[in-house]
Amino acid sequence: MLTVTHLSKKLPDGKQLLRDINFSVERGEFVAILGLSGTGKTILLRCLNGLTIPDGGEVILNSNGDPLRITGSNSSRMREIRQQTGMIFQNFNLVKRRSVIENVMIGKLGKIGTFQSIFRKFSNEDIESGHRALERVGISDLSHRRAGTLSGGEQQRVAIARSIIQDPALLLADEPVANLDPTASEFVMEHLRSISIDNNISTLAVLHQPELARKYATRILGVRDCIIVYDGSANISDNDFKTIYGSTYNASAE
Amino acid sequence: MPVQNRQVSFKSIRYARYIIPVLFSIFFVWSVISTGISINDLINGYPNLADFIGCMFPPAWDVFIPLLYPALETIQMAFLGTVFAVILSVPVALLAASNISPSKPVKVFARGIIATTRTIPDIAFALIFVSAVGLGPFPGILALSIHSVGMLGKLYAEAIEEIDPGPVEAVEAVGASKLQAIYYAVIPQVTPSFVATTLYRFDTNVRSSIVLGLVGAGGIGFELIMAMRLFRYHEMSTILIIIFIVVMFAEWASNYIRVHVIGEEVLK
Repeated sequence: MLTVTHLSKKLPDGKQLLRDINFSVERGEFVAILGLSGTGKTILLRCLNGLTIPDGGEVILNSNGDPLRITGSNSSRMREIRQQTGMIFQNFNLVKRRSVIENVMIGKLGKIGTFQSIFRKFSNEDIESGHRALERVGISDLSHRRAGTLSGGEQQRVAIARSIIQDPALLLADEPVANLDPTASEFVMEHLRSISIDNNISTLAVLHQPELARKYATRILGVRDCIIVYDGSANISDNDFKTIYGSTYNASAE
Repeated sequence: MPVQNRQVSFKSIRYARYIIPVLFSIFFVWSVISTGISINDLINGYPNLADFIGCMFPPAWDVFIPLLYPALETIQMAFLGTVFAVILSVPVALLAASNISPSKPVKVFARGIIATTRTIPDIAFALIFVSAVGLGPFPGILALSIHSVGMLGKLYAEAIEEIDPGPVEAVEAVGASKLQAIYYAVIPQVTPSFVATTLYRFDTNVRSSIVLGLVGAGGIGFELIMAMRLFRYHEMSTILIIIFIVVMFAEWASNYIRVHVIGEEVLK
């Protein structure tokens, strides 16, 4: 469904971040991307929905019918691709001064004309689906609270609800639990897994906790020194962890 | 050679300690001489000053009520000037903010508008508009609207540049257009500072509109210059009392709104 070939990216100062990345993801897979900090995992994710433009290679999204080529798309084409690609951020990226339900409705913006959305004409049906999404992540009672007043875990669940009503084929999660306590992390990972299964969404999540990857992912991609060094089962051996994190990595210390 | 560089800058700072006070003193003395500041003149002129102030008392209370109308006109001028300035400034600020502006030439153009309107004094605009559309509050409103674009546009653009880019990116990542991202993620973040800036500008515009009245742009300032030209000094003092009330009122009103209406929001 998602095919990445020969993807590469350099920083403007010449530092290589990604070199000849090749992989593909099937519908409904839950892929965890692991690797040390600064190995280009986030950049890899951002290349998949055009928030970062890669220097070379191709990214093709083939969700329903026509394959969409992300690299080299013009802006209206890019919007079409992004509509099918949800994104969850480390810092949640909610509009803090707006209510929870208003934040959720942002997920529908890609499918609504600019003029219409400026006058806040979300259909009752859309608003209903927003409330259902909040119910699904267990925070329907918070729908009229100001988003900035919620805890981190609650804010990330609002962001998940925003992605649910977007109804994407692909969900990119950039360190979704890095700022959360262990309990909230488990909650968020549970929700990500369940929408991946229920809505048949392919999920790519950059994670920093190997044990969460083992528990929730169906597959692991290990990135090290700009390239993919591990691509396989989530049932990963300690030896393979050492390929990703280096020989000093100690699995039991986690 | 970082160490050497540090020594050079240290030396230059040490020289600056002596050079700056010397330059300051030279310019101060030069300015006093060339502008003709003279204590003698002030002492010799004191009887005239006392005479003038004496003529102003007592204030002419019979014109107090009729003068409230031009005072209201001054407030209306400032109000409309501010409203039109806001309408003009928001798009200019969006084009001038480096994180939102669509391209470099557009940004330079928008910043050009801001710099020009800010540096040309409102009184110069008022003189131009008075000669174009005639006496009265209308040229004053035009002058305030255009001059305020400079200051509002600059402060709005700075507020836009300080926003958290995360929510904007999140809105764009769902496939929303640039305009949608501005409306849903930029505007909510800048609203409190926009409101505070605008209220402050209204306050400033009330004072400016009094001065603009002196060049024929209506309101209480126009009454002040007329009273002075007609040697009606008793009326002048009444007008000064009214100006005091108007300025205090504008300050109080904008402060009240800032604290009681948006205060709570700004804290969050």
